[in-house]
Amino acid sequence: MLLIGGVVAAVVAGRQGEDKGTATKTVQGVIGSEKAEFFADPDVVKALAAKGFTVKTESSGSWAMEGLDLKGYDFAFPSSQAPAGQLAAKYDVRQPLPRPFYSPLVVVAHRSAAEVLAANGLATLAGRSRGTLKMAAYLDAARHDRTWQQLEGADRHGELTGTLYIASTDPESSNSGALYLAAASYVAGGGKVAASTADIDRTAPLLRKLVSVQGAQQSSSDGPFRDFISGAGNPLVLVYESQVATLLGEQQSVDDLVVLYPDTTVNSDHTVVPLTDEGRALGDLLSTDPTLRKLAVEHGFRPQGDTAEFIAATAGRAAYLNQTLTGVRQAPVPTSKVLHEMARRARG
Amino acid sequence: MRRRLAVLAAAAALLTGCTAQEHKDASTDDGAPRPGTLRVLASSELTDMKPVLEQIGKDTGITVRPTYLGTLDAVDLVAKGKADGAYDALWLSSNDYLRLRPDAAKKVVSETPIMSSPVAIGVRQEALSRLRWKPADVTWAQIEQAVQDGELTYGMTDPARSNSGFSTLVSVASALSGAQSALTDADVAKAAPRLKEFFKGQQLTSGSSGWLASAYARRGNVDALLNYESVLKGIPDLTVIRPTDGVITADYPLSSLAAADPAARQDVRRLAEALRSDSAQRLITERTHRRPVVPSVKPAAGLDTSRRRELPFPGSRSVADGLLDSYENELRRPSRTVYVLDTSGSMRGDRLDRLKKALTDLTGDFRQREEVTLMPFGSDVKSVRTHVVSPADPGSGLDAIRKDTDALSAQGDTAIYTSLEKAYEHLGTGGDTFTSIVLMTDGENTSGAKADEFDTFYRGLARTEQETPVFPILFGDSDQAELQHIAELTGGRLFDARTGSLDGAFEEIRGYQ
Repeated sequence: MLLIGGVVAAVVAGRQGEDKGTATKTVQGVIGSEKAEFFADPDVVKALAAKGFTVKTESSGSWAMEGLDLKGYDFAFPSSQAPAGQLAAKYDVRQPLPRPFYSPLVVVAHRSAAEVLAANGLATLAGRSRGTLKMAAYLDAARHDRTWQQLEGADRHGELTGTLYIASTDPESSNSGALYLAAASYVAGGGKVAASTADIDRTAPLLRKLVSVQGAQQSSSDGPFRDFISGAGNPLVLVYESQVATLLGEQQSVDDLVVLYPDTTVNSDHTVVPLTDEGRALGDLLSTDPTLRKLAVEHGFRPQGDTAEFIAATAGRAAYLNQTLTGVRQAPVPTSKVLHEMARRARG
Repeated sequence: MRRRLAVLAAAAALLTGCTAQEHKDASTDDGAPRPGTLRVLASSELTDMKPVLEQIGKDTGITVRPTYLGTLDAVDLVAKGKADGAYDALWLSSNDYLRLRPDAAKKVVSETPIMSSPVAIGVRQEALSRLRWKPADVTWAQIEQAVQDGELTYGMTDPARSNSGFSTLVSVASALSGAQSALTDADVAKAAPRLKEFFKGQQLTSGSSGWLASAYARRGNVDALLNYESVLKGIPDLTVIRPTDGVITADYPLSSLAAADPAARQDVRRLAEALRSDSAQRLITERTHRRPVVPSVKPAAGLDTSRRRELPFPGSRSVADGLLDSYENELRRPSRTVYVLDTSGSMRGDRLDRLKKALTDLTGDFRQREEVTLMPFGSDVKSVRTHVVSPADPGSGLDAIRKDTDALSAQGDTAIYTSLEKAYEHLGTGGDTFTSIVLMTDGENTSGAKADEFDTFYRGLARTEQETPVFPILFGDSDQAELQHIAELTGGRLFDARTGSLDGAFEEIRGYQ
């Protein structure tokens, strides 16, 4: 179709002068999409302004940031250390990089799906809205192309048909998708972090399977999460814990939601890559300013080196969140090079 | 297929091929960047977002200047770099196809899903009772069975032009192939015989959802429409069914383009935030029947929230393009088209050259099994030349069309109505094909039958013959009222090539053939 639409609304004059009258520095950054709501929060905007910052952000897949022209930007804020390290090397950024907060990767499920997984030994549930996903059992099911129809109890839920899989983002452009592969390869490799070509070879067919069954994947973590919320999409979706925590913060209970913590998961260390002095000042501020830390916790991020703060702030969401990460093992992340190669082979 | 995209992309860059209606808006829009105004390349389905965007314009001061284009063509445009500097954002029904094209995907920075709508089937009340279907419990396999039994006919948009058609095609292929995960080439090949049966039930095709709805209403004898739930909900008397064995859902990501100015990209972010606000989400679901993507807003009344399996979208371009290719060339019912071409004296020179070029270019776009008739006219029909693009040797039919095109010459008066009557006589009843007439003229009727005589002729046709629409193209000094009347009488649609290229109009009409 080639239709040309008209001008939809008149331009309201005078928007250009937004920043006038205050002594704020405007800093521009590219961020992982899961942090967009944090930076858009009026309280965050206010807290930053109080420290003299106006922050303008744009979302991108963490690995895709490397392909962007970051001229004129003050910082990049990918979702983990690996892409941050790569950006730091590219732009010659001085270490250490500010890492204000982290978030484990979790799987969101509708209750019907979570209960079927539990009934078939793929998950355990702690209460109605929280549980643990048994990664080894899940990977075994994936290896054998297990379908929902083959699982006991799935026939009671019309939507539970087709191959059982966790929907993740494109591991070549997005951090969460890549970290999913890191966790899977760690479990499949018998608790060993992949370091060599031989290690990559060993788990490549399985990782390829985890990705290829999904078909087209989204390029950042906000997409599949939104599909899940709108009632579309796959019954199991890999997201950051912070995304769920934010949702629960806005909406006290999400009736049908179960948060499954993989028994082996990967923590995503949200890492600031300062490209200018202002960018570095902002990164430091996010780590140290008590108000901003508190707001980050409200958005479901875990501040580095302090679990008590997170536990206190998310007390009302404890039915869904595994606050102390009990029974959750952290898989170490392979080097960027290994991770890239893993992702490339998994995408085929 | 690929050839077609190239031509259409070029046409789109020139902002041509629009209808008379939209053209008026376009004349005030020079496409230049302006602060506070976002130039958005958007799926045609998004025309219904006008009231929402107006509200957001009031709230944020951001004006959206949309250019509507089919998803596949938009992706091609982006991949070729032709959107660079021409658009600030991309807003398609889905970025699934875009992701299969790395050259296009890398031009996008951020993607913010705004709302969602699944593929569904809308069934007429009478057909629903006849089939004794329970709307909550219908599968694609049942739909297929009803088609096979001759109990169900339907219309859908052209998958090559419209995202709704493409998503429908993938949904149907995934469901009928029995594939448990994302479609592969082997799945598509295996499903081909079943799909061919299924598409025998398709009685209407369209380049846009809007025209599909009006053609459906006019026909009165088509049982159902396949489209997005949001589109079907807007059509009276349809019961909207989401098949229980799976659907594909569009999530409308507003995407900023890497080549856009940073200030414009900030406006894209602000626009996305505004669209995600509770008030906008509420307005969206109430006005457009799409589903919200924030948990604080519930889907509008009438949108059933029981869950459906989400069918995975193919993960490779070869599968997606292969499916599209087999739909066009093997699976769908073939087309029979008559091109009624004005070659009167006034066409001499540049106009005739443009016609020849447009037709020659169009030969890259004819499908296998398609029957194409060239009917040049002046004071009367000059010749009737029919060619079939045979799957065994598509080249020879296309060569013959090009040869006949090259031999066109301009002389005589303009006998529009007499020629149209002859086109109807030539086509007769359609049989198992999509029939249509394209009328290209650069002037008003000056000889042969008069307008009222043609009206009488048309009303005297058998009902099946009347189902052939005429798609007139405004060109040169043609009479808009006259051509509009022909389009309305026959259930066609008017296209405008007066300011842009004739290629663009011909290409756009392909979606309706």
